[in-house]
Amino acid sequence: MSKTTAAPQPSRLNVLWHKWRFHLNILLLLIPLGFMPKYFTNAALIRGDTGLGEHEIGEIQVGPWSLRLAELRDEAPRRDGATGHVKAFNAALCDACIEQVKATYLRIGKPRSLRAAGVIFFGTPYRMGASLPVPEKTQADAELWITMEGWDGAMHQAAIPLSQASPATIAWLNKQGGKP
Amino acid sequence: MSKKSRSKLWFLVHSWLALPIWFFVLIVCVTGTLAVVSQEIVWLANPQMRASPPSDDARRLSYDQILAAMKKAEPQTLVSAINRPDESHFALDVDVNYPDGRSVTVYVNPYTGVIQGVAPTFNFKAFTRALHGWWLVPFTNGFSWGWYLVSFLGLPLLVSLITGLVVYKKFWKGFFKPTLRFRHGARIFWGDFHRLSGIWSIWFIAVISVTGTWFLIEALLFDNQISISSEPIIPAMAREAVPLSPDGSPAPQIPLDRAIEIAMQKIPGLEASFISLPGNAYSHLDIGGRGWYPLMYQTATINPYNGEIAASRLLSNRTTLEFVTESMRPLHTGDFGGLWIKLIWFFFGLVLSMMVLSGLLIWTKRTALATANALKRSSKKQRTATAQPSMSSETSEASL
Repeated sequence: MSKTTAAPQPSRLNVLWHKWRFHLNILLLLIPLGFMPKYFTNAALIRGDTGLGEHEIGEIQVGPWSLRLAELRDEAPRRDGATGHVKAFNAALCDACIEQVKATYLRIGKPRSLRAAGVIFFGTPYRMGASLPVPEKTQADAELWITMEGWDGAMHQAAIPLSQASPATIAWLNKQGGKP
Repeated sequence: MSKKSRSKLWFLVHSWLALPIWFFVLIVCVTGTLAVVSQEIVWLANPQMRASPPSDDARRLSYDQILAAMKKAEPQTLVSAINRPDESHFALDVDVNYPDGRSVTVYVNPYTGVIQGVAPTFNFKAFTRALHGWWLVPFTNGFSWGWYLVSFLGLPLLVSLITGLVVYKKFWKGFFKPTLRFRHGARIFWGDFHRLSGIWSIWFIAVISVTGTWFLIEALLFDNQISISSEPIIPAMAREAVPLSPDGSPAPQIPLDRAIEIAMQKIPGLEASFISLPGNAYSHLDIGGRGWYPLMYQTATINPYNGEIAASRLLSNRTTLEFVTESMRPLHTGDFGGLWIKLIWFFFGLVLSMMVLSGLLIWTKRTALATANALKRSSKKQRTATAQPSMSSETSEASL
C-alpha cells in the first residue's frame, strides 16, 4: 500500500524504507542466533550440568547436618507477578542426612518458630530449589536463615550473611535504596 | 468506493501482509511444522526412546514395578516424575536426579523397566519449541518479548486468510475444479498453487491464526496480572498431617499403584498417564491424564501417606471460558490425538510454509514485471510524456 502513497514524490523516509525493508528479515533472524548461546547455557544450568547454580555458596553446617547451597542465577531478584521479587536458590543435602531430613527452609531474618521457617525446598535431596521472596526494604546486612527439620521432629538452624549468599541481591537492594 | 476499487484495496492488503518480514514468517512456519513432529524426530534418531516389547504378549509394568526395576538397576537414582507419552511406541519419560545433582530425563522401557538411556543433552524437542514459540528470547520478567514477536503474527495471518478469501472470488468453486497449471510458466503455477493450497487449508490457517492470537492475548493477560483461572491453589499439607517417626527415618508412603487405584475409584474416567511424586515431605502426589475430551488433562492431588484425595481438577471443574482457552494450545500444536493428528498438522504446516513462499514468489514476479513495465513506461514517458500509475499492473493478479 505504501506504493500508492509513494507515487508522486517519494519522501526520504519512504526511499529508505523501500531500500532497506527486506533487511528487517536479517535483523529478525539474528535475534535467535544471538540468544542461542544463552539458551544452551541456561539449558545446561537447569539440567545441572554446570553444577548446582551459577553462584556456589558452599557447604553450610546446620546442626549435625549440612547442605550445599547455590544461587541458581548470579543476578538480581526477579519480579514474579503478585509475589513481588524472588530469588531462586538450589541446595543439595549431605549424604548422611538424606534419610534424616524431612524438610529444609529458607528465610531472610531469623524465624520465630518452625511454622514461620520460610519457603520450603522442593525437589530431591540431590538437587532441590526454593524461591525466596526478597522484600525491597530488606537491609543490606540481613541474614539468610536455613532451617532443617528432621523426621524425628528435631530442628536445626544456621545463618549466613545475605551478602555472602547473594552479592547480586545486595547490589540490587542498594540500588533500590538509592531510589527516592 | 466502487466494488472494483474495493477489491483492489483488499488485494493490496492481502499482498502486503507478510511483507516485508516474509522470511521471518516463513521460518516461524517451518520451525512450527518441525515442532509438531519433534518428538517423533527424536524417536527416529534415538533408538533408546523406543518402547519395544520383549515378546508379543508382553504386558506393560505397573508404575510401582517400574520404580522397583529402576531402583534395582540404579539404587542411587531418585525419581521425581514419570510420564507415559500418548503413543505406545514411545518409552516412558522418567525425570530423575543423580547424586551429582544432575536433573535429567531417562527413557524407560514400559514392559521391562530397563533404563534404556538418558535423553540427549541437546533437547531437539525443547529447542524447536523454544525457537518457534519465543524465538529463543529468554523469559526474565513475565513473558519473553520473543513470545510477543511470534504470537503477534497470528493477526496478519488471520487477516491474510480473510482478505485472501475476499479477493479470491467464488473460491468454493476451487474445491470442485482444482486447477494447477504446470505448463504456463512459474508465475501461473505458483498462483494456482497458492490458491489451491489456500482453500484446502482454510480450516488450518483459521486454527493456527486464532490460537496464535490467543497466545498473544494470554501473554498480555499474564503480564498485566489478569487471571481467568478458576483453579484453586492447593495448600501444602498441614504439619500434623505428616507422620513423625521416632526413629528418624522417613514416614512410609502408600504404593503408587494403590494411590492410582484410590484416585480411579473416586474419580471415574481419570487416566494415569503422568505421575508427579511429592516434591517434599509436605507436598502431594499428582496423578493425571486425558479425560474423554482429548484436549485437556484431569488431575488428582493425593496425600501420599494415607491416600486421601486432597483436590482434583476435572473437566467438570472448568468454566466455559477455560474450556476454550485451555483447548488452544493442543489445537495449535496438534498434540491431542496421537501420531495421525500430528502428521495432519505437519502436512498442513508444510503447506502453510509453502504458501508463504509461493505468495512471495508471486509478489516478486509481479513486482519484477511491474518494475519492468514501469521502466518501459518511463522511457516512453520521456518521449510521449504519458504516465500511468504503476498500481494497475501490480493488481493484475486480482483478475486472474
